Amino acid sequence: MEPAVVISNLEVLFFGKAVLKDIHLSLWPGRITVLVGPSGSGKSTLLRAINRLNEFFPDCQTRGSVSLHLQNQYHGDIYQNTIPLSDLRRRVGMVFQTPAVLPFSIEKNITMPLQVTVGLTGSALTERMTRALQEVALWDEVKDRLKSSANTLSGGQQQRLCLARVLALEPQILLLDEPTASLDYKSAARIESLLLNLKERYTILAISHSLSQTRRIADRVCVLRQGQLIQEMDRNDMADIRTFQGLMEAAF
Amino acid sequence: MNRISDRILVGLTWLSGIGMCMVVTGLLLFLIFHGIRQITPALFFGDTPWLKAITGQSPVFDGIWPAVTGTVLLVFLSSAIAVPVGVASGIYLAAYASSRQRAFWGSMVDLLSGTPSIVMGLFGFTMILFLRKTVNPTAQTGLFLAAVCIALLILPYLIRTSQAAIAGISTHLRLIGPAAGFSKWQNIRHVLLPLASRGILSGIILAVGRASEDTAVILLTGVVAQTGIPRNIWDKFEALPFRIYYLAAEHRNATELEQGFAVALVLLFLTGFLFAIAFLLNRYAENRWRIRRYQ
Ligand SMILES: Nc1ncnc2c1ncn2[C@@H]1O[C@H](COP(=O)(O)OP(=O)(O)OP(=O)(O)O)[C@@H](O)[C@H]1O
Ligand SMILES: [Mg+2]
Repeated sequence: MEPAVVISNLEVLFFGKAVLKDIHLSLWPGRITVLVGPSGSGKSTLLRAINRLNEFFPDCQTRGSVSLHLQNQYHGDIYQNTIPLSDLRRRVGMVFQTPAVLPFSIEKNITMPLQVTVGLTGSALTERMTRALQEVALWDEVKDRLKSSANTLSGGQQQRLCLARVLALEPQILLLDEPTASLDYKSAARIESLLLNLKERYTILAISHSLSQTRRIADRVCVLRQGQLIQEMDRNDMADIRTFQGLMEAAF
Repeated sequence: MNRISDRILVGLTWLSGIGMCMVVTGLLLFLIFHGIRQITPALFFGDTPWLKAITGQSPVFDGIWPAVTGTVLLVFLSSAIAVPVGVASGIYLAAYASSRQRAFWGSMVDLLSGTPSIVMGLFGFTMILFLRKTVNPTAQTGLFLAAVCIALLILPYLIRTSQAAIAGISTHLRLIGPAAGFSKWQNIRHVLLPLASRGILSGIILAVGRASEDTAVILLTGVVAQTGIPRNIWDKFEALPFRIYYLAAEHRNATELEQGFAVALVLLFLTGFLFAIAFLLNRYAENRWRIRRYQ
């Protein structure tokens, strides 16, 4: 099987200073790759390099290439404009580190992006929204208050709403920046099992700060330090908790 | 030590708040005390029956009804010109301009906001003189010209408040749209403008207030003491602030001076009414934006 994303020789600079350098990384469909590393090591920046969201910030330069191979539809380097930017970002869904819901109604948080980018209306729209909310296990909690403001949701509910918003757009690659950061144990476990289900259909790259969580969900772990990928581990390295911890401690 | 300075600060903020309320109440009471007796149908319509005056069947010679309509027309016309231009400029400055362009155009906007209103009036006046000498020898000052000059006057408020309202939206919220594949304009239209609507509204309220009270601009661009309701937008017009000025400066007896205060009261309530309209429109739009999905 060929990888869905091939990053080679990637370098990202903010204000002339390299935040990521010499990154080589491939992501395969059906696997969860977890990115770990100290704060400020460039994890979020690496995620944003895959949907070209770094360009949103002033004075950011990207060098090297990020190639997508999506179900025989797109082949090519996203930085060479082979894929229209809006298509790229819809196919590469991203959930942010801090859950950001729009101060609109719960329903509109999901339906508005669908209407604007996909042009869905009517019952197809309702169906898509319902399915996304069910998938993130939020439906039962919000089905009676779809019209109330998303700001009234708890932090964890907001995070699930963000995930639902992304899933509703039916992307092929998922970039998750600490998807369980503000969740309690039970909701986190639910998201984890959701991710394990989703991985059949998606190519997933997630950031996590929790080593135990990493062990539970990761097929592969990449360690980032000071903008460089310094180590990769697969399931075998993680099988024994002691060797895994030893490897991680050496890495950090 | 810290506690004392803390308390002093709290005291001062309270004092300023109370002082502010007292000044406003004092002003209102003063106006009411001096003017309320003159707020009669005769003040508005003179000897003309009110129904005929409002429906425009017969002209009003002695009342402020034409001035009320003149001011309302002026506010709507100048807002119709300035609000779209101002909000669009604010969007440009906040979302499209590079930091260098932003600095340049921003200082231009500041310059415009520092321009005294009499200069705007002179600008309009010179413009008419210029038109007379060149393409249109019959060009005259009138409602439309005044509205354009007022629009120039209120433009900076609109630009700056919309720019600030859009620029103040947090990066988290700004990134949601682009991350879902929105184009820049889609993000502005569906996320940034709805989130900035409250700030933009405050700019519109400032602008409406300014448009309804300014006298210097209209003095040179078409206001007259008595002409009745304008027949079209090129016609001369009456306006409340000019009426106040006129009554105060040229009153022949105490009643006329009291009428001046009464007209000031009317102007105050008229602007309050316009604010209320702006507020209700915004609330309607906000409800649509926040809750309904648009089909
Ligand atoms: N928009 C930006 N402008 C300038 N510098 C930036 C920008 N975004 C990130 N950086 C810098 O890039 C480096 C990496 O940031 P990044 O957000 O990718 O770290 P991170 O690994 O996600 O950290 P954390 O775990 O704390 O989220 C940091 O030094 C940060 O200061
Ligand atoms: Mg981060």
